[in-house]
Amino acid sequence: MTKKEKYKLVEKFIIANQQAHYRLAFSYVKNKENALDIIQDSVMKALRSIDKLDEIDYLKTWFYRILVNTALDFIKRHNKMTVMDDQILEFHLPAKTDAIQEFDLYRAIDHLTIPQKSVIILRYFEDLKIEEIATVLNENVNTIKTRLYAALKKLRIELKEEEFNL
Amino acid sequence: MNGLSKAKKRYEEIEIPPELSDVITHSIAQSKQLAKKPFNWKPFTLGIVASASLFIGGLNVSPAFAQSMAGVPGLGKVIDIFTIHEITFEENNYQADLKAPGIEGLSDKTLQNGLNEKYIEESKELFAEFQKEMATMKESGGGHLGITSGYDVVSETNQLLSIRRYVVETQASAYETVQYDTIDKVNELFITLPSLFKDDKYIEVINTYLMAVMERKMAEDANISYFINEGNDWDFKSISANQDFYITNENQLVISFDEYEIAPGYMGVVTFEIPTEILKPYLVDNMYIK
Repeated sequence: MTKKEKYKLVEKFIIANQQAHYRLAFSYVKNKENALDIIQDSVMKALRSIDKLDEIDYLKTWFYRILVNTALDFIKRHNKMTVMDDQILEFHLPAKTDAIQEFDLYRAIDHLTIPQKSVIILRYFEDLKIEEIATVLNENVNTIKTRLYAALKKLRIELKEEEFNL
Repeated sequence: MNGLSKAKKRYEEIEIPPELSDVITHSIAQSKQLAKKPFNWKPFTLGIVASASLFIGGLNVSPAFAQSMAGVPGLGKVIDIFTIHEITFEENNYQADLKAPGIEGLSDKTLQNGLNEKYIEESKELFAEFQKEMATMKESGGGHLGITSGYDVVSETNQLLSIRRYVVETQASAYETVQYDTIDKVNELFITLPSLFKDDKYIEVINTYLMAVMERKMAEDANISYFINEGNDWDFKSISANQDFYITNENQLVISFDEYEIAPGYMGVVTFEIPTEILKPYLVDNMYIK
């Protein structure tokens, strides 16, 4: 595949999946302008380092890695966590059985550490396989499994063996 | 897995802003622009370094002599910079205003005409690209595109003249690229970065200095960030042999990087002044950089 063909493929991929990419960026920074900033930087970085994309099959994980790294960079620079005080409090109260039903899992995910949040979002919202997540986050597969298990535990999700789907 | 699928639904309901497709188109166009930055045109006078002696139209000029000439009041050459060529375009969502500089006052007409023609040519190319992009955007449902190009004299002494040419492209946000041309007015030479130095060791020296400065600035100010030491492919590793540069009125060398070249977009165009003392051992002479 020529460089030009690679470039065209990456371009098409970026355009076709822009909404999913935006949602991923947004879930890190919870702010439209910042998410768009991250998207802009990621697209620029990706198109400028096409040479480093070896296998076109790994296009998705390659781009997700750039996207996640750019988002994490942004957070580091702006040093902000996207949590609100009363939600933290609510999260740490002893859970009552009925409270679990109303438990807002979506907001709870924001209370995870950033590495844990990354694996939850990539696994359950973006449907990446464990191996793919390992590539995106540049960790080994066992680290990802451990992290995922810890995150789910923290979210107080009880899963049956089959549902865990490792 | 009720909780997670509900959460997933919430995730999928994250609102997509209308600006997103513009940002995507813009970023793609920007990276293409960055990839094909016009190479610094080298006129036939390139290679004539201001070293031991120069022979210009019967006058044997040595560096010391040229300097003393520049110092004499009234002998500073009068060079005019004016708008030699302008392209304007105005439509509902598409605007272009491209001004090309022209130089007047050099006795070396080949050099002068060569530069002026280069500026006009690049302006026309820029406009052609604008029209192409406009057509593509209209085909895919429209948007907004603006291009402005202009110039200013970033420094001028009796000896030197540095012209800065900028292009600002505006879609969802603005993106700026700059180029500089530095001319020795007295000897009527087009100065390139390599021509200032004895050999290419200057590249490593400048790289080392820039890395140190960038690291220091990032450590001192959390709002400053450059693409260094992140283990990424786009990290800054070296200036190019023909990196954008200009020479200040105080004869200092300034290295310039476009938006996105070595830092995230919010840092804009990035410039660094290089202390002459680290360049001294590598300079051909002290005619331009002091």
